[in-house]
Amino acid sequence: MKTYPASHPILRRNFLADLGMGFTGLSLGAMLSGDGVVRAATAGWQPPDGKPHFPAKAKRVIWLFMIGGVSHVETFDPKPALTKYGGYSLADTPYKDYQENPLVKKNLREVIAGLHKIHPSLYPLQVGFKKHGQSGIEVSDWWPNVAECIDDIAVVRSMWTTDNNHGAQMQFHSGRHVLEGQFPTIGSWVHYGLSSMNENLPQFVVLGEPVDTCCGGVASHGAAYLGPEHGGVQLEVRAENSLPYSTPTAGVSKEEQKSEFDLLSEFSRVSTVEYPDDAAMRARIKSYELAFRMQTAVPEVMRFSDENEATRRLYGLDHDTTRPFGEMCLAARRLAESGVHFVQVFHGQNGGAGRWDAHSNLKKGHSELCQQVDRPIAGLLKDLKQRGLFDDTIVVFATEFGRTPGAQGSNGRDHHPFGFSVWLAGGGIKGGVAHGATDEIGFHAVEDRHYVTDIHATVLHQLGLDPRKLEVPGRKRLDIDFGQPIREIIA
Amino acid sequence: MTWLRVLVLASLPLLVQAEQPLGRAILEKRCVGCHSAQLKKSGLDLSRRDLAIRGGDRGPAIVPGNSKASLLLKVAKHDVEPHMPFQAVKLSEAELEAIAKWIDQDALYERPIEASAAPEPAASKHWAFVVPKRPAIPVVKNADWVRNPIDAFLAAEHAKRNLVPQPETDKRTLLRRAYVDLIGVPPLPAEINRFLADGSPNAYETAVDRLLADPRYGERWARHWMDVWRYSDWYGWRKGNDVRNSHRFMWRWRDWIVESLNRDKGYDDMVVDMLAADEISPKDPNSLPATGFLARNYSKYDRDGWLQDAVDHTALGLLGLTVKCARCHDHKYDPISQAEYYKFRSFFEPYEVRVDRVKGEVDTDKDGLTRIYDAALDRPTYLLIRGDIQNPDKENVLTPAVPLSLGAPLGKIESVSLPIESYYPDHRSFVHADLIAQAKSDIERAEAELGKKREAYTAVERELESVNLKAGYEKLRGASDQLALAQKALAAAKEYLPALEARIAADQAKYAVPPDLGYEALADAAKKAERKAGILKADENVLRAQLEFTEALRAEKPDEKKITEAQKRLSAAQKALTQEAEYSSIGKVYLNKSTGRRTALAQWIASAGNPLTARVAINHMWLRHFGKPLVSTVFDFGLNGKAPSHPELLDWLATEFVKSGWSMKAIHRLMVTSSAYRMRSTAGEANHPSAAIDPENKYLWRMNPRRMEAEVVRDSILYLAGRMDSAMGGPEIDETKGLESRRRSIYFRHSPDTQMEFLKMFDAPNPAECYTRNESVVPQQALALANSRIGQEQARVLAKSIGLESAPAAFVKAAFETVLGRLPSTEEQSIGERFLVRQPELLASLKVSAPTGERARESFVHVLLNHNDFVTIR
Repeated sequence: MKTYPASHPILRRNFLADLGMGFTGLSLGAMLSGDGVVRAATAGWQPPDGKPHFPAKAKRVIWLFMIGGVSHVETFDPKPALTKYGGYSLADTPYKDYQENPLVKKNLREVIAGLHKIHPSLYPLQVGFKKHGQSGIEVSDWWPNVAECIDDIAVVRSMWTTDNNHGAQMQFHSGRHVLEGQFPTIGSWVHYGLSSMNENLPQFVVLGEPVDTCCGGVASHGAAYLGPEHGGVQLEVRAENSLPYSTPTAGVSKEEQKSEFDLLSEFSRVSTVEYPDDAAMRARIKSYELAFRMQTAVPEVMRFSDENEATRRLYGLDHDTTRPFGEMCLAARRLAESGVHFVQVFHGQNGGAGRWDAHSNLKKGHSELCQQVDRPIAGLLKDLKQRGLFDDTIVVFATEFGRTPGAQGSNGRDHHPFGFSVWLAGGGIKGGVAHGATDEIGFHAVEDRHYVTDIHATVLHQLGLDPRKLEVPGRKRLDIDFGQPIREIIA
Repeated sequence: MTWLRVLVLASLPLLVQAEQPLGRAILEKRCVGCHSAQLKKSGLDLSRRDLAIRGGDRGPAIVPGNSKASLLLKVAKHDVEPHMPFQAVKLSEAELEAIAKWIDQDALYERPIEASAAPEPAASKHWAFVVPKRPAIPVVKNADWVRNPIDAFLAAEHAKRNLVPQPETDKRTLLRRAYVDLIGVPPLPAEINRFLADGSPNAYETAVDRLLADPRYGERWARHWMDVWRYSDWYGWRKGNDVRNSHRFMWRWRDWIVESLNRDKGYDDMVVDMLAADEISPKDPNSLPATGFLARNYSKYDRDGWLQDAVDHTALGLLGLTVKCARCHDHKYDPISQAEYYKFRSFFEPYEVRVDRVKGEVDTDKDGLTRIYDAALDRPTYLLIRGDIQNPDKENVLTPAVPLSLGAPLGKIESVSLPIESYYPDHRSFVHADLIAQAKSDIERAEAELGKKREAYTAVERELESVNLKAGYEKLRGASDQLALAQKALAAAKEYLPALEARIAADQAKYAVPPDLGYEALADAAKKAERKAGILKADENVLRAQLEFTEALRAEKPDEKKITEAQKRLSAAQKALTQEAEYSSIGKVYLNKSTGRRTALAQWIASAGNPLTARVAINHMWLRHFGKPLVSTVFDFGLNGKAPSHPELLDWLATEFVKSGWSMKAIHRLMVTSSAYRMRSTAGEANHPSAAIDPENKYLWRMNPRRMEAEVVRDSILYLAGRMDSAMGGPEIDETKGLESRRRSIYFRHSPDTQMEFLKMFDAPNPAECYTRNESVVPQQALALANSRIGQEQARVLAKSIGLESAPAAFVKAAFETVLGRLPSTEEQSIGERFLVRQPELLASLKVSAPTGERARESFVHVLLNHNDFVTIR
């Protein structure tokens, strides 16, 4: 087994020089952060040192993702023309050339040409819009609470993506089309780039049931080639057993358990020298160390007993409709507050494409779903503000694509990758801004168009990270993978 | 300018007209399908020379005279991404060379490539839709390394990429790898030592043969196939014993898989049995459980969803086809129309699930054989518009057919006549015997009951002699009612037995071959006997219902619902008293024909002429031996799937599989005895040259280390501790007993609603769909190993078996060898010894009551169970 006792003196020397004494000193996992061991010898390349590349405006991210595709025209991008021309065929409206627009082809990555149908019969808006706040940005009536916060929000109305099926869910997180395989997701880049703010908690946490296997599955919070240690850790929002097996068997004291972990850590150190190229092993070593500390830290975060009634109401914990997502938003705040860099919160998993996927009954479906999340999200924004966390916490509200201006069947809208909306708030993002625009019927993003990775770039920029400096040797990324920070919405 | 003439290069798979430049011809065939004037993918139009030179979004495609600088060649050679042709088979070396030469010679077009000359749709010649041809085994330089053709195909790819295969791993690692891989548990120290002591050149092959002959092989690989075939125990409303999905007694299917694998039943035969054993071996109780594959899709409230699952997962699991996409519209990637989806569905339209009696148990809620059967021979299949069950296209009844693009023709569908054992399962003599025995025991029970009631009545009478109260009379009346009821029940039970016997006799005459002339007399006798018994039973029931009714009325708060129910039962019982009918059969008589549709489908799937079946199965086996599949989209071999990393190897193995009679053991042997399988799994150094060339190990220059699957983690802990209960088969065990019971993990209840928590932590398969396991690394796994009862308890047992008294040095060495299957390094040895010396001091200071030396040794073993090398298959 011991095939390399002395063949890697440099590695070994590094270890002997660097290593602390298990948990008593700096942990082995901490020493291994950013792949240092494996890559250290790649010429001219340094692993991330865990520090921002330039002064950061934000420290953490709460990433709210609505699974299935939120209708942009019924939420944050009003298009009265749809109501005006409702029932008309696109060809009989002033917008008849929209389907011939070269953007149709340019946007879509089609495997077989001509598949993506455009529903020609325009479907009127299913909800009213009102202006809100000093900025007067229009928000649909399904969002009464978030609308109150609109002056803190930057809506981006000119998003586009290429995947016309729900592989776009993974694509929104990794920037790559589902056909191209798995790539690191935004949360994993943050995890990879920044050193821990709290050694007792995972730095990339996933709440809510994640994307279904149909549409990317756990790869939507995965780390792909960055290695599994940078992937999101799924936690359940409940104090007891939010992590299973989180208490030692009876009769084993903390000290005794710690002595076992220390011994394991020593053995791990030996293995690391022996298998410098085993990423899974490094991840496992780290996960052990984290596990040991998480045993006490996680239940504390997930126990809401110290939250007062006002806060509970703020998140809608007092209503059955809003409670489930409200608890996640509250947990997200508590995690962020405790020093977790990236909290990814999913809403709408239904064992398939997602609840927001309104191919039919859009009005009923969307109005109910908005009701489930509106108050919790507004509560989160308000709570972050009152706790002074808003300025260095970015909240992102996103979905994989929008929905067609045309009707699908009698009362639905189909997938629409050509133009859709997301919004950001806090963490140095301007408030009360509506950036970019789709055309008159919400078909194409026409002004200040942004691909999904521009959101990644904006988030990383606020965290002080330059994604080009995070690149891993042998893993060439394209320009479009990096995206461009959206300067117009940065304060 | 001398143009190459196409016809000269007969080796190129091109059917183009002569007299045109070869490079252009290849472009026409392989590139212009997408890069045409019409489609212009990535803005690139290759139909004209000037446009090709101008290029697309990524810049010029062709630099005439300079093939090296031409982007077209770079993407075609897969030097840069995106690899072209997109999602299709790479150009051959000969084609690449021809293009290079053509560009170097100025890339002359002669004439533009016209749209009409664009190639036929990629689909019809998509690699996976063409029956694999047995490729020649390449002759390679690294011939010494080649143990069998697998190695030859891999070595050819190594040579192309300057990859050097890693040397053979050490014997201990190799043995542990083979053990875990083939039987699902690591070797014990004695087994390791036996292997190390075997100096013969075939020591490893001998060990492999022994493992393949071990019954634990069947258990290990059954779990793999159960992933692919979606094994699930029944689920639904467990408290109400209400089966809503999958079905009872699925374990018989699981046991059938285990046994079939151990017997090395051909994969083709297994597939046929799973889809159609009810038509092919309708009398064979050993084959029928195979149809659990389809029974598993049962859904109580959603027949449409049930059939969708049957269609979708038959295609995903056995054919690697995502036909499910064609449920609502024509398939977006593969040449499968929506109509073809529903034609495929019509194979399954007639089938339903039933539970037949098994010997020794007449109650099919308690035990039975769950199987499928055709319940309706002419149930129509319609295309569902947009996949909507409310919206069938009733104009057209669709008949069974397989997707045309797969080429292989479907055999004739011939309806099957079923034997009586199949269509009238309760006519089997063991059922008769069991029912008679049951009737006899019912009489005994009724007699005992009567005795009890009689005693109770006497007791009340005696009580009343001393007291005289109104309540006393109430009590007496109650006892008297109960006594009367018991008497009636006994009378009914006594009459039931002869009636049952008469019915059986009549049935036997009815179904006798040749016909029994005495039938009519027997039927008449049976009718009379049954009527007589029926009257007595009804009489019993009338009284029972009357008592219920009066009781309900007399209650302090009369329960309306109870009263109506009692009333209903009463009138039903009274009605039964007067009914005149033929004698009833012993059990349900099903149709004596089956459509034969599934047999035709099964034979089409399990045939050498099907382009997908063998490849898909081989890919699943490869994945589970080598850690990564040859086709990474294991359930999608269609146009949206990934191309194989080693197309020729895949095809060779697929043809070899068929040639071996679809013997899985033959393929296992081939795979695990290859040189490839025996390689070291580590590069051993940070900057290994091969790692720079192929960091993903796509071309298998080293073995892939893997993490044990959930079941292997649990089983190995038990096995090494010597505590595994090796009993095989039987009903599923309660999933909450996972940490107490010592049975293998495969035997625990596993359904979407019920899974053993410990297994879930380690990525237990999703019973709804698991074509490949996740290998996650999350802190929760560490907690499960460190804090679960199983880890602690078995560490204690192991420490004891290693010897709690032994000296630190000996203990450390033995513990490493036992738990990790290897010896400790010098450093590990000294770390371990130090721990064993110091730990007792810590324990003493913590005032731990247990003997500190022993406790330290238990801790030490516990740590090794948590060691990365324990869960890792190196």
